Amino acid sequence: MSSWDDDETAASAAEAATTDVELLKRAWRNEKAAPEVLRFDSPLVSRVREQIQLLEETLNDFADSGVDDLVVSLYQMDLDRTLFLLRSYLRLRLQKIEKYTMHISRSDDLLSRLSPQERRFAKSCAEIMEKHLEQSVLSKLPYGYDSVTRQSLSSTEDDMVPEPQLDTFVFCKTKSDVGAFQLDDIGEEVVDLVADDLYVLRYKSIKGLVEGGRIDLI
Amino acid sequence: MYGRRASQLLKEIDSSEAGQLASFNSDVFDQVIRECNEHNSQFQSLIRKMVEQNLDIETTRNEDHYGAAIHHLSLLRNKRCLMAYMYNRAEVIQSFRWKVGPVLPHDIQEKLHFSEKEYFKNHSAAIKSYISEMDIDLTVDMVPPKDPYIQVRVLEDIGEVSLGDHSVSLTKNSLHFLRRTDAEQFVSQGLMEEFLE
Repeated sequence: MSSWDDDETAASAAEAATTDVELLKRAWRNEKAAPEVLRFDSPLVSRVREQIQLLEETLNDFADSGVDDLVVSLYQMDLDRTLFLLRSYLRLRLQKIEKYTMHISRSDDLLSRLSPQERRFAKSCAEIMEKHLEQSVLSKLPYGYDSVTRQSLSSTEDDMVPEPQLDTFVFCKTKSDVGAFQLDDIGEEVVDLVADDLYVLRYKSIKGLVEGGRIDLI
Repeated sequence: MYGRRASQLLKEIDSSEAGQLASFNSDVFDQVIRECNEHNSQFQSLIRKMVEQNLDIETTRNEDHYGAAIHHLSLLRNKRCLMAYMYNRAEVIQSFRWKVGPVLPHDIQEKLHFSEKEYFKNHSAAIKSYISEMDIDLTVDMVPPKDPYIQVRVLEDIGEVSLGDHSVSLTKNSLHFLRRTDAEQFVSQGLMEEFLE
């Protein structure tokens, strides 16, 4: 994207944007492929928003100073693509929260992966869904069967909460040598993960590696 | 046969196309609720009978116990089916907010149960409050951008609209060269279409 630049003053801003945009693209790809919601990268998102603002101001300056239309539209394109990445990243997360709202609200670990605004959204989502289900179904059912999360009083745990399928297969690519990696608890399947190789594995096994940034989902 | 009506509801969900909603089937729904209450009263009377005979409810295994167990399990099955029905419809309603917008067209509204309409309203409000907290509109830019500007043809009279620093008069059948993000809101409402030569 920044190979189009020949304007010195904007070059350094654009270079920094490339690194952050690449990071955002990576976060976006991971979020798209992962079945559960991943950790919210708050500093990255704030930096990207600052750079978007900088780009918008640069574009406004261009419009005033009459810079060549082609250059303007290239910067505009860059801005649009970054904006799309940011919006899509936030949207993907919101839609995952919508889908698994009750599961997320029960787990402190999952709640800690959300931004404060997302946490508030998750809480409202869960409340709204509960109210809806209670109003339409549960209030009409006999006593003892009217819990949202449990089938009946005789259930030993919350057995009516939908959870994401963590053992779906995902395509992934290693960033560096990981070496022999154990795929499951029993120690039966061990895979040698070499740098820059493509694999298709169950998400559950490589969850830790994704969080640590050592493997990317595609 | 116990549970047959409830599975009718599920078949309805299964046979509708992805992202589409059939009319809320209140007839079958109410029948299933009635069945549940029937099961419950049968269940209670069987348990009462065992108690009157001074049998230990937890451990006795006579025909009344098994009868009660069947009623209990049938009730649970009906509950699961009802919850699945409502929950799956709610998921489709969620998707409407992203695809269609905060106001639903009349023909979709007709298919919704009263509680579903409220659910949609509340859910939309939650999304709206997130969007305003983050100060970034998430309902535009649904597909990756190819061009910063697109040519659009206006399908219905919209009138004067101010886009950015200038205002455009959007009369029917007029062609405009607009910024993609500006045009997107009109295209998604069906008021404009992309003009491809």
